[in-house]
Amino acid sequence: MKDIDGGSWVLRTRGLRKEYGREASLVRAVDGVDLEVAPGETVAIMGPSGCGKSTLLYLLGGLDRPTAGEIWLDGQDITPMSERALARLRRDAIGFVFQAFHLMDELTAVENVELPALLAGRSPRAARRRAEELLERVGLADRARFLPTALSGGQRQRVAVARALVADPLVVLADEPTGNLDSASARDVLRLFDQLHQAGQTLVIVTHDARIAATADRMISMRDGTFIDQTMLQGGTSGRLGFLAGLEG
Amino acid sequence: MQQGAVLAMLAKEPAHGYQLRARLRQALGPVGEGMNDGQIYVTLTRLEKAGLVTAEQEPGPPDRSDRKVYALTSAGQRRVADWLAEVSWPKPDLAEFHLKLIAAAAAGLADPITIIDTQRGDLLRRLRETQRAALAEPDRSPAALLLEGIVLRLQADLRWLEACEQNWTSGKDES
Amino acid sequence: MGKILLVCRLAARDLRRHKAQAVLLLLAITAATTTLVLGLALNGVTSHPYQQTRALTNGPDLVAGYGVNLNSNGPVPAEVSAAQVQTDTRTLTHLSGVTEYSGPYPVASVILRTRGLTVPVQAEGRGQAAAAVDQPKLTAGSWVRPGGVVLERTFATALGVVVGGRVTLDGRPFTVAGIAVTAAAAPYPNCYLTSCMFTGPQMGAGSSSLSTLNVGLAWVTEAAARAMASPQAPLSYVLNLKLKDPATAPGLAHEFLSTYGGTGGAIDQGIDSVNTWQAISSAAGQLVQDEQGVLRAGALLAVLLAVASVAVLAGGRMAERTRRVGLLKAAGSTPGLVASVLVAENLALALLAAAAGLVIGWAAAPLITNPGAGLIGTAGPPSITPATIGLTVALALAVALASTLVPAIKAARRSTVSALADSPRPPRRRAALIALSARLPVPLLLGIRMAAGRLRRAVLGAASVAVTCAGIVAVLTFRATVDHDLGTSAHQVGDPVATRDTQVLVVITIVLVALAVLNAVCAAWATVLDFRRSAALARALGASPRQVSAGVAWAQVLPAVPGALLGIPLGLGLFLAADGGGVLTIPPVWWLAVAVLAILAAVAVMASIPALIGARIPAAQILQSETA
Repeated sequence: MKDIDGGSWVLRTRGLRKEYGREASLVRAVDGVDLEVAPGETVAIMGPSGCGKSTLLYLLGGLDRPTAGEIWLDGQDITPMSERALARLRRDAIGFVFQAFHLMDELTAVENVELPALLAGRSPRAARRRAEELLERVGLADRARFLPTALSGGQRQRVAVARALVADPLVVLADEPTGNLDSASARDVLRLFDQLHQAGQTLVIVTHDARIAATADRMISMRDGTFIDQTMLQGGTSGRLGFLAGLEG
Repeated sequence: MQQGAVLAMLAKEPAHGYQLRARLRQALGPVGEGMNDGQIYVTLTRLEKAGLVTAEQEPGPPDRSDRKVYALTSAGQRRVADWLAEVSWPKPDLAEFHLKLIAAAAAGLADPITIIDTQRGDLLRRLRETQRAALAEPDRSPAALLLEGIVLRLQADLRWLEACEQNWTSGKDES
Repeated sequence: MGKILLVCRLAARDLRRHKAQAVLLLLAITAATTTLVLGLALNGVTSHPYQQTRALTNGPDLVAGYGVNLNSNGPVPAEVSAAQVQTDTRTLTHLSGVTEYSGPYPVASVILRTRGLTVPVQAEGRGQAAAAVDQPKLTAGSWVRPGGVVLERTFATALGVVVGGRVTLDGRPFTVAGIAVTAAAAPYPNCYLTSCMFTGPQMGAGSSSLSTLNVGLAWVTEAAARAMASPQAPLSYVLNLKLKDPATAPGLAHEFLSTYGGTGGAIDQGIDSVNTWQAISSAAGQLVQDEQGVLRAGALLAVLLAVASVAVLAGGRMAERTRRVGLLKAAGSTPGLVASVLVAENLALALLAAAAGLVIGWAAAPLITNPGAGLIGTAGPPSITPATIGLTVALALAVALASTLVPAIKAARRSTVSALADSPRPPRRRAALIALSARLPVPLLLGIRMAAGRLRRAVLGAASVAVTCAGIVAVLTFRATVDHDLGTSAHQVGDPVATRDTQVLVVITIVLVALAVLNAVCAAWATVLDFRRSAALARALGASPRQVSAGVAWAQVLPAVPGALLGIPLGLGLFLAADGGGVLTIPPVWWLAVAVLAILAAVAVMASIPALIGARIPAAQILQSETA
């Protein structure tokens, strides 16, 4: 079913809902979410823990099925798709970055990154080349043959980001990308996301870290499964840097 | 604040006004860009009047401030030592915002949540700017460190705003 | 005391929480114990029924066959003169120790035809009156009459003939008047081993020795027996003797033969055989002895498979448990306590399995120990001796503990911190296999990487498939050997011994296959658990659920291929070992091919079940809950 409203949204949802349990123990993790993401936009979704933002992200990535509502990816309704079709979608059009990195411990960095390409059926050589390219892009070309255990948290997450980019996806979904990182590693990942944003990659980031959210064009607050508020982050501020540092007065 | 910093920069050796200016600029990076050039000379004059600093005219056209060489007096040196040993930390100024919210709610003039959201948007934009600047600096440079400090403060403030929002939302529900 | 109670409580709670695994473990060990009990129950089973038959029929202590000179130079044994027969009779009946006798009865060697079957038969001529010694006991119908024949019971069953059925003897039509059992000869087809001698024309190509014929036993009227004699198939005579002291029978027979034997001796004159009741008893019991040998081999295989299943299950449980062990230790348990809990659980299961094995084996044993239709009475419920109980319990304990002791000790000794921080032990890296798998289609890629990550389990899987295949190949070899021996004639009647053995082998094969299936399911389940995160991740990265399930299946099938191929020579070797170095007839290649393919297909199907179940859990659930 094509998106009737036209427009070139990369990602769009209407009335998205996800419920667990039933009757007395019913939990509405996501309760009626309408979202539109334009191409090249970075959207940050912030909220207290348990507000359902991670659940929302997994729904957007086709890793879980909504109870109600529709999701359109590049104008195509993905809600009625079979598991197989969703898998193909994840392979070709969606990149996912997890809070826990989820790298395979027995594979080297480059083997981890090339995995989605191999799953998509690309030739081993092409997959390897693309993986090396991406590792270079995230600044880890010299660590290509390292196992994840030999990498720091920030480096692991960057490998995970490289993996998410292998298929040149329409949208990259990131779930608390700096959640498990110390501030120095987080800075590296921050820089990477900023670069991706500058390069025009569409990003949807779920986070409770304001610094990651600050790289976005738009910040949406979420609570109890619904969107509360939206803040545009483009445009100037009212204060100068010097004032923020306490130099004046 | 600036007074102490300027005094301290003279502790090692006397210096010209423009040299002091350059040192400050380097230490502050982009944060110092908004600094008024003339500001430093005003500060130096005040210090001279307070007897903490002496100004010697270098040979050349008289009465041009940038030809003066500034040096610490012994009183100045004592003040530097005191300043370095001071433990006071810049005061967080949250009370005003806090009272703003309470006043708005009490008088029914505005919704506290709206105030919080507006402020939060502003802080986020500031955070964005500061972060951009921080990422542009080389790692571990003095400027980067300062910017990191600002970012972390902003982050802390944003967290407090979140707590405020939760508090005022539930307060609204109850009432 | 309190500590023991604590251990028991923890163990019980653990078992309750992992019910399915506990049940699987129980099944595996029970299969092994049951097979063992059945094997043991067969010990000394047949002397019992033979004695009953002997008592009921007043069986003889010595059976002498004579009246035909087997060593004569012609193609056909020469008939001995009537006078010689009388002399021989007198010699025999006047042996010291003989208290009574019956006979001599004329025996005709004829061909019996019925229902398309052709069989050589010894037809003994009897009178209506009950004989003093060896009066066969009727189990159906009535005794001999003109035109009527009484068949030995096992023989009748093998022919598929009942009372009232029609047969021809030597071309003459007869009706089956009755069916009886006797203690004077071993039941068909072992009659030839002792008392029966076929003096008639050879039958069946390629068989030149009289002793390899499966001769049946029947009784007709004296007149009918004499009428069926011919120059090509002369009459012989059988004499049944009873001794004062039955135990002296072997000594007497030996003495007689050595006195009267040799050239020109009694053998030359026509006394062909003097058989003791002990020999007949053992020939009668051979049916069961064969079975016992087969059962023992089968029990060994079953035990091996059970050990493999248990090892896989235990390994799988250990991996899940490491964290719980860490929690226990963090809460203050000593490594000793932790190990005791683990050992206690397995002990409980082992004892339960031993008890189950004893009960099931005891109940099922009569089906196996039925000593053949030819003897009266069943063996009765097998005696459960203390030795049987002890051995069974020991086996169950050994199987349970052997496969769990090492992991238990390792788990208990592991440092608390590492146990708490950890989930299943990470798979090992095999660079060469990873590189190889990258060139293959997705299911193979996933399958190879999963198998490579748990190499020990893959080896165990291969071993269990090898064992199963060996069992099946041994059965096929047995069938091939039987078919070959029996010749290609469609007129041959089935060999009850072979049929019996085949039946037992089929039962063993079913047990083995069941265990192998169990094994495959356990291994696949353990694989699914171990690779739950990787599988969910693969799905998140774009592998379809079907590809992932296929991967799990391949992870089991790939090691199974060398296992199955290895099983073929193992099975042949097993047959040779069990058969006592007899002739090996290699089964046709297509039989083996079908067997191997069937095993592999079964492994693949069995492995898919846990895989498909695991694939239904949404990936999101697994990925969200797992830590880095």
